Amino acid sequence: MAVDRRGFLKFVAGATTGVLATPVPWKLLDDVSIWTQNWPWIPRNVDGENSYVSTISKLCPSAAGMKVRLVGPRPVRVLPDDNHPLSMGGITALAAAEVQLMYSPSRVKRPLKHAGDGAFVAISWEEAEKMLKENLRRAGSKVAYVSGDETGTINELLSGMAKESGSEDFYVMPSEVQPAARAFASMNGNGQLGYDIENSDYVFAIGANILESWGTVLRNRAAYKNSHPAAEKPTVKFVYAGPVQNNTAAGSDEWLPAKSGTEAIVAMGIANLLIKAGATIDAPDFAEFKALAAQFTPQKVAALAGVTPAKLKAITAELSKAKRPVVLTGSEFGQGTGVATVLAGTAVNMLLGGFGREGGVTAIPLAPKVIASGMDRAEIADKDLVAYLSRISAGKVATPRAMVFYEANPVYGLPQPAAMAKVMDKVPFKVAFTSFLDETAEACDLILPTPLGLERFDDVESPYGINQAFYGLARPVAPCVIDGKPAADVLLGVAGQLNMDLGFETFEEVLQAKAEAAGADWDSLMEGEFFTSDAVAEQSDLRIAADVIGKALAAAPKPAKLSIAPVQKLNIGTPNTAIPPYNNKTIRRWELQKNEMYVAMNGATARELGVVKHQRIKLSNSSGSIQARVNIFEGVMPNTIAVLMGFGHTAFDEFSKGKGENVMELLTVGYEAGTGQSVWNVAGVNVSKA
Amino acid sequence: METKEFTIKWGMAIDLDKCTGCGACMVACQAENNLAPIADASNKIKVMNWITVYELSNGKPYPEHDVAYLPRPCQQCGHPPCVSVCPVIATDKNEEGGIVSQVTPRCIGCRYCMAACPYHARYFNWRDPVWPGGLEKALTPDVSVRPRGVVEKCTFCHHRWMAAKDKAIVEGRDPMDLAEGEYVTSCTEACPNGAITFGDLNNEDHEVAKLASSKYAHRLLERLGADTQVYYVSRREWVLRQLDNYLEDEKVKG
Amino acid sequence: MGKNYSLPADHELFPEGTTRCSLTKFSVWMGLVGAVALWGLYAAFRVLAEGLGVTGLDDYFGFGLWITFDLAVIALGAGAFFTGLLRYILNIDPLKNIINLTVIIGFICYSGAMLILVLDVGQPIRAWFGYWHANVHSMLTEVIFCITCYLIVLIIEYIPLILEQKQLNRIPILHHLAHNLHVWMPLFAGIGAFLSTFHQGSLGGMYGVLFGRPYVLRDGFFIWPWTFFLFVISAVGSGPVFTVLIATLMEKMTGKKLVSWEIKTLMGKIAGAMLLVYLVFKFADTYAWVVDVLPRSGLTFDQNFYQTIYGKWLLWSELFLCGVVPCAILLTPKLRNNPALFYSAALLDCIGITINRYVFTVQALAMPVMPFDTWETYNPNWAEWGATALVLAYGAIVLSLSYRYLPIFPQERALNATKSS
Repeated sequence: MAVDRRGFLKFVAGATTGVLATPVPWKLLDDVSIWTQNWPWIPRNVDGENSYVSTISKLCPSAAGMKVRLVGPRPVRVLPDDNHPLSMGGITALAAAEVQLMYSPSRVKRPLKHAGDGAFVAISWEEAEKMLKENLRRAGSKVAYVSGDETGTINELLSGMAKESGSEDFYVMPSEVQPAARAFASMNGNGQLGYDIENSDYVFAIGANILESWGTVLRNRAAYKNSHPAAEKPTVKFVYAGPVQNNTAAGSDEWLPAKSGTEAIVAMGIANLLIKAGATIDAPDFAEFKALAAQFTPQKVAALAGVTPAKLKAITAELSKAKRPVVLTGSEFGQGTGVATVLAGTAVNMLLGGFGREGGVTAIPLAPKVIASGMDRAEIADKDLVAYLSRISAGKVATPRAMVFYEANPVYGLPQPAAMAKVMDKVPFKVAFTSFLDETAEACDLILPTPLGLERFDDVESPYGINQAFYGLARPVAPCVIDGKPAADVLLGVAGQLNMDLGFETFEEVLQAKAEAAGADWDSLMEGEFFTSDAVAEQSDLRIAADVIGKALAAAPKPAKLSIAPVQKLNIGTPNTAIPPYNNKTIRRWELQKNEMYVAMNGATARELGVVKHQRIKLSNSSGSIQARVNIFEGVMPNTIAVLMGFGHTAFDEFSKGKGENVMELLTVGYEAGTGQSVWNVAGVNVSKA
Repeated sequence: METKEFTIKWGMAIDLDKCTGCGACMVACQAENNLAPIADASNKIKVMNWITVYELSNGKPYPEHDVAYLPRPCQQCGHPPCVSVCPVIATDKNEEGGIVSQVTPRCIGCRYCMAACPYHARYFNWRDPVWPGGLEKALTPDVSVRPRGVVEKCTFCHHRWMAAKDKAIVEGRDPMDLAEGEYVTSCTEACPNGAITFGDLNNEDHEVAKLASSKYAHRLLERLGADTQVYYVSRREWVLRQLDNYLEDEKVKG
Repeated sequence: MGKNYSLPADHELFPEGTTRCSLTKFSVWMGLVGAVALWGLYAAFRVLAEGLGVTGLDDYFGFGLWITFDLAVIALGAGAFFTGLLRYILNIDPLKNIINLTVIIGFICYSGAMLILVLDVGQPIRAWFGYWHANVHSMLTEVIFCITCYLIVLIIEYIPLILEQKQLNRIPILHHLAHNLHVWMPLFAGIGAFLSTFHQGSLGGMYGVLFGRPYVLRDGFFIWPWTFFLFVISAVGSGPVFTVLIATLMEKMTGKKLVSWEIKTLMGKIAGAMLLVYLVFKFADTYAWVVDVLPRSGLTFDQNFYQTIYGKWLLWSELFLCGVVPCAILLTPKLRNNPALFYSAALLDCIGITINRYVFTVQALAMPVMPFDTWETYNPNWAEWGATALVLAYGAIVLSLSYRYLPIFPQERALNATKSS
């Protein structure tokens, strides 16, 4: 049959009508909604069985307890754990991002070595371990180890390796832990100071950023939650003293403005008033302390710390009236404070009858060390990394021939980081065990990728601040997504080849021994349980260490005319994590715009400096300088500039790198008179228009 | 337009005196609902957040200054400004529980709903989502990833309600009679300060229902009549006053 | 038949009895416009390929330049339906001299607006869901219905114009088709007027119903907020003079008289009358907004304005300089008959309506409603300007071709014959 034009048109018309009469075109049209939702470049949902694993964060400084949700083999969420004493139903903004950090673009994917031209070259683990072993052998006793872990038994392993090779140089990155441990040691104390916030009826945090970053934050915050029923009068008053109305101040029932670095002075001011009201301490050096406290009249405290006498008196009165008050001291940015701060705070607790009382301060026992040649927590606390690097710089001690960094980022995280990095530059061989390509790793000759806490076995023993002895395991919830090896395994292997006797073949054995030493049951730990104990460390001949406070405060640096108040927020990450991928959305608008950071000051200070909101300024002092824009925030003390920590990374990935500048550049290291503890909580600064 | 009533009305009471602005809710929300990360998140009016935290100031100079933080999820209005304007019924207030739905495969991306919402709870996918470095492996299976060109918003973690109902059915319980806490949103769960209380506003036994009737509980922009299901609690008068617009001589109600 | 080489190469296609510039000159002009269009096409391509992230729009300003532009051209394109209504339904015969131009401008405005909308919706492939999953409660649904239908009407009205092209009209079937369509034109004019009135209104209604935005919220009559009516009347109060302005611009560019002064002033008088009606309602509406809508929302008048970018000068300009002033000129015979004043008034009128559409679109979104929120500002970026320029270039191309080849100005021959003699 020949198809003529008319026939063809008829066919087309008929076919069209026919097809339109079927559901086919209409169904296809409706499917537009589906296929425009599912473009090939849009990831699809991957389903699987849900399971939950209880573990503990090794990334969050609060050692957050958490439940990891897995879908099939994939971890997808970090959730709070209602039953965990270090979560108590909450999660930090940092720990909440931990699963996503497994896939962070800045993770080190395989061992890398620094080639001559500055580039990194991927190498095999075999070659990497050989390189490590040979360099450690060559360095002999001229080796230093730096750890970024505060609570893990790996510190015994690292310090043990140092000691086995004849070196005393093992250091942990500075935090609140060292001054607190040294303070308690100078009191003849035994164990670790713990704060019973949950049973207290009046919580006074001097500097300690207890609702954001200080101590076991989630536990602090759970106590806050329980004492602050919604829409009702709080059952416990929280007061925060510090230079900036930070997150802790925002949650507290009262903010007591006090200059940066004057925590000990504020505490002594309280002590002064308490003693005047008749409070005493049963300690051999109370008379000395009383004489010392007498100097810190409200007027003097007002002059030094900027605290209004009336407010100081009111808070002292409230403390005296409270049945179970507790005073917590620290630095508002979690580091750089002196021994005297903790001593003065503890003395106030003692004046309030709070030492060893429910809702006060306790001393919790620490498990004995399990690696004989390693250092225990007290020994470690005496090791001052900043002081060590400064001594190298001054030529007082020899530059080590090798440095081992374990999950530590001193090139970014120490005060005056440029100067510290310069010291490290002189070290011929540096190796970083790290999960992320951080600033320190970039400065190293060898980079060894470690699995994250979610991918390895690790432990946490009694983080600072907790009021009961604690031991728990971090367990691998998923296989390591990169070609990583746990640092402990690598180091044990190398130690064996170097004929060091650490007493253990595997890290699991170390952890088992530690668990036993802590009194915990290994099997239940492996099931995600944790160990706590209400045992209290026995004390004898406890003193106030008034002489230590006296010496330190006599030589305390005078506050500068214009000073820096670093502000710490966990959501912005730590030197080890930088800003996790989801967390940059939590950075506030006037904290960062594109790559420029903002610093905050109150309106009066801005007027005095002749600057306005959004203006570009340069902050500088003898240590360094940073550029920023001005934000006006009335919750900052006069003549104080609040600077957020966590910006200015030069390594990591697009979520952190190049955003703002690092406040550590402005923090000048000094040494506390008497104790020699390195401190950097007082920094003066000059402002110029940029 | 009248407000549709439901047997169950999921709602929130957020205690603004307890929020310290830590951001845990925002991170938990993004991870739970598969929001894409973004390298530069500093342009706050072009960054996707189903819940965001506003900073409130009492406007007084130091030392009288006071600060508060206000987490803002979708307010799940009883009388939603967004639903009636959507030309394609991609968003609706039509399901038991009173959660305002958002059907992203239906959405044509006209953004009229965004213009309608005074809470800025709605966000547009300006570009295709990208998960760098294998981050897509951490996506949950609960919420589909949205392509560019559609509007999305907080759903009160609707998938969690579905899961809680399924669980109840499997266990032979009435899915319409969940115990308090069986279904909570991801932000509620994450908040370490317990600032967010979640539950059924129609169930007098639920904490949220009690809080909603407190004299310290106000809703955002109540006088516009959106009849929202999120209550904000504060014992501070200046905070309550910032929850709605008041003329100088007007008193804060309650 | 010998060729006359002094005439342009394409002179056979020109309307009967008219002269046009040389093909070279015309090509240069088209090349210039084409270059602008290419830039716009690049912008459009980027938007479609990468998403709306390439624009300056954001989550506060979901609507921006494009929606403002659409609303403005749809309002100004109202000359088409309104003149059609007057010419075909109310039989105001002299308007036949400008009706063709109004149809073409209407067509350009509406098809251009559609083009922009294709870019502006996030999922253009789903755009037809407006029919498929229509929400009858949404003003936008009504807009989608009416503007698509009205665009079809405009196409139907435009077709006979094309068919009347000298060469095409020689083909009998096309000639008859054109003739028959002309016979039916009053019907289409009626349908067009109906559709157009509704969607002009619905565009206004879109804003008036936003009870979350006190800046645009308006009470109203039955389901229609007052903005529904205000948008209709303001469109007919400006569309006619926009047509006049375009005609005059074409006269300036071609150096010919195309529409007589009488027709222009007639259009001006009509627009002026409608503008007066509009202004009465607009002042009443503004008063009601200030004394009722705002206070009951807890807002003061001053809170609706911000710095210079969203300052009160916009409102005063819209109401007085671009409202009362042109209205007075257009309605006063003495002033209206002064060409300089007349054209200024026409221009001010169009600007006033554009300001109105701009503030309703952008300022409404810029204003914080939550007390702790802040004013935000919006500036369109290159991609938005590019796509807008594309539509303008497209309009210029359609208009240039139509003028060169189609008999759209019935008075052209007579006016120019008079001039040359």
